[in-house]
Amino acid sequence: MISIDTVSKHYGSFQVLTDCTTQVKKGEVIVVCGPSGSGKSTLIKCVNGLEPFQSGTITVNGVSVGDPKTNLSKLRSHVGMVFQHFELFPHMSITDNLTIAQEKVLGRNKDEARDKGLKLLDRVGLKAHAAKFPGQLSGGQQQRVAIARALAMDPICMLFDEPTSALDPEMINEVLDVMVELAQEGMTMMCVTHEMGFARKVANRVIFMDKGQIVEDDSKDAFFGAPRSERARQFLAKILQH
Amino acid sequence: MSYQWNWGIFLSPAASGDSTYLGWMLSGLQTTILLSLSAWVIALALGSLMGVLRTVPGKWLSGLAATYVEIFRNIPLLVQLFIWYFVLPEVLPFGLGDRFKQDLDPVTQQFVSAMVCLGFFTSARVCEQVRSGINALPRGQKNAGLALGFTLPQTYRHVLLPMAFRLVVPPLTSEFLNIFKNSAVCSTIGLLELAAQGRQLVDYTAQPYESFIAVTALYLIINVVVMTLMRHVENKTRVPGYLGGK
Repeated sequence: MISIDTVSKHYGSFQVLTDCTTQVKKGEVIVVCGPSGSGKSTLIKCVNGLEPFQSGTITVNGVSVGDPKTNLSKLRSHVGMVFQHFELFPHMSITDNLTIAQEKVLGRNKDEARDKGLKLLDRVGLKAHAAKFPGQLSGGQQQRVAIARALAMDPICMLFDEPTSALDPEMINEVLDVMVELAQEGMTMMCVTHEMGFARKVANRVIFMDKGQIVEDDSKDAFFGAPRSERARQFLAKILQH
Repeated sequence: MSYQWNWGIFLSPAASGDSTYLGWMLSGLQTTILLSLSAWVIALALGSLMGVLRTVPGKWLSGLAATYVEIFRNIPLLVQLFIWYFVLPEVLPFGLGDRFKQDLDPVTQQFVSAMVCLGFFTSARVCEQVRSGINALPRGQKNAGLALGFTLPQTYRHVLLPMAFRLVVPPLTSEFLNIFKNSAVCSTIGLLELAAQGRQLVDYTAQPYESFIAVTALYLIINVVVMTLMRHVENKTRVPGYLGGK
């Protein structure tokens, strides 16, 4: 589904990604973790072309992302993405947030888009909030709407860029619950997150990054049981201490 | 000092034309309003376009827009007006300048030059407001639009501009007020707008206080109306749960 092959990226002389290689198969859930500044967010943004990269190739569903001839908008329209700061459109009601891209990008008609949007809103437990605006919802609620908005496009895979790290602790679980459900339904997912509980529960593989490199790419049992690199061991020890 | 106040002067027949001095004032008011509104349409359209161009990726377009702003923002309005009215018709190619001078009556020539001048001058300022509005939005908004499959123009149209314009309603209000006040400069090329009519009335009646009090009051009234209108726009477009919205 997603294939990342020796991808490197630099801003000027600063190397952000170095020879990153990994695959995500259909139906797999991959968790990407690592210290801040390790390049994990950059890597996931390369997957749908939000960040350009200088060398290597990324293909999503057989389409090369870095190829200048690729219609990136079309590719992105069926790769869902969820952001750290939700990024709902503040001037639109929740319903409009859910329907606008369905109408303008996929060309669905108003009723069809609305039905689909409201069904997904119900699924994330927020049916009662359809007429509200993003600024009137809590962070956790906004993030669930953001997931519903991505799902409304019938994505072939979902990218999560630290979906819970801007949330109050109390709200993290309501978002993780939605993500776990998605994973269990077989959605292909690539998640940048530090929620190790989530990783243990649903991840097939865990990727550990440091200084722009993929240091570890293992099944979750291997990763949590006996990480091969010293850096990953230190990282796990630090975040699992409490 | 003995000054003979005479507010009745406005109702006496004017020295020329078949109207009263009040009629002069009102015709000046009408010119000021028409001139400022048409210039504002140019300023808003051109300024928004340039403001968007200043924020798009790619050096060429943003460089072009930046140059545009520097030119129109850094030359005094009066100098720009003289260039549009006196210089440009002389240098326009394909006989356009001659046609401008021969086919249009003098009043239309003055009006068109003044309108274009005010419009371009103000557009440079509107451009900077729009640019700052777009840049004030979180970077993730653009990414969120693109990630949903919007093209870059669609992202501007549906995601960035609706919020950016809301953010800059207050500074745009100032520009809108400025354009009415700046329009007084256009009396220097002979356009009989409000300030010019005021001065003309002084020349004919020797009643400067009445004349300039009336002119001042009319400018104030225009701007109170504009401010009320823009406040209404601000309230209407307020986003619930965001920036002082409920």
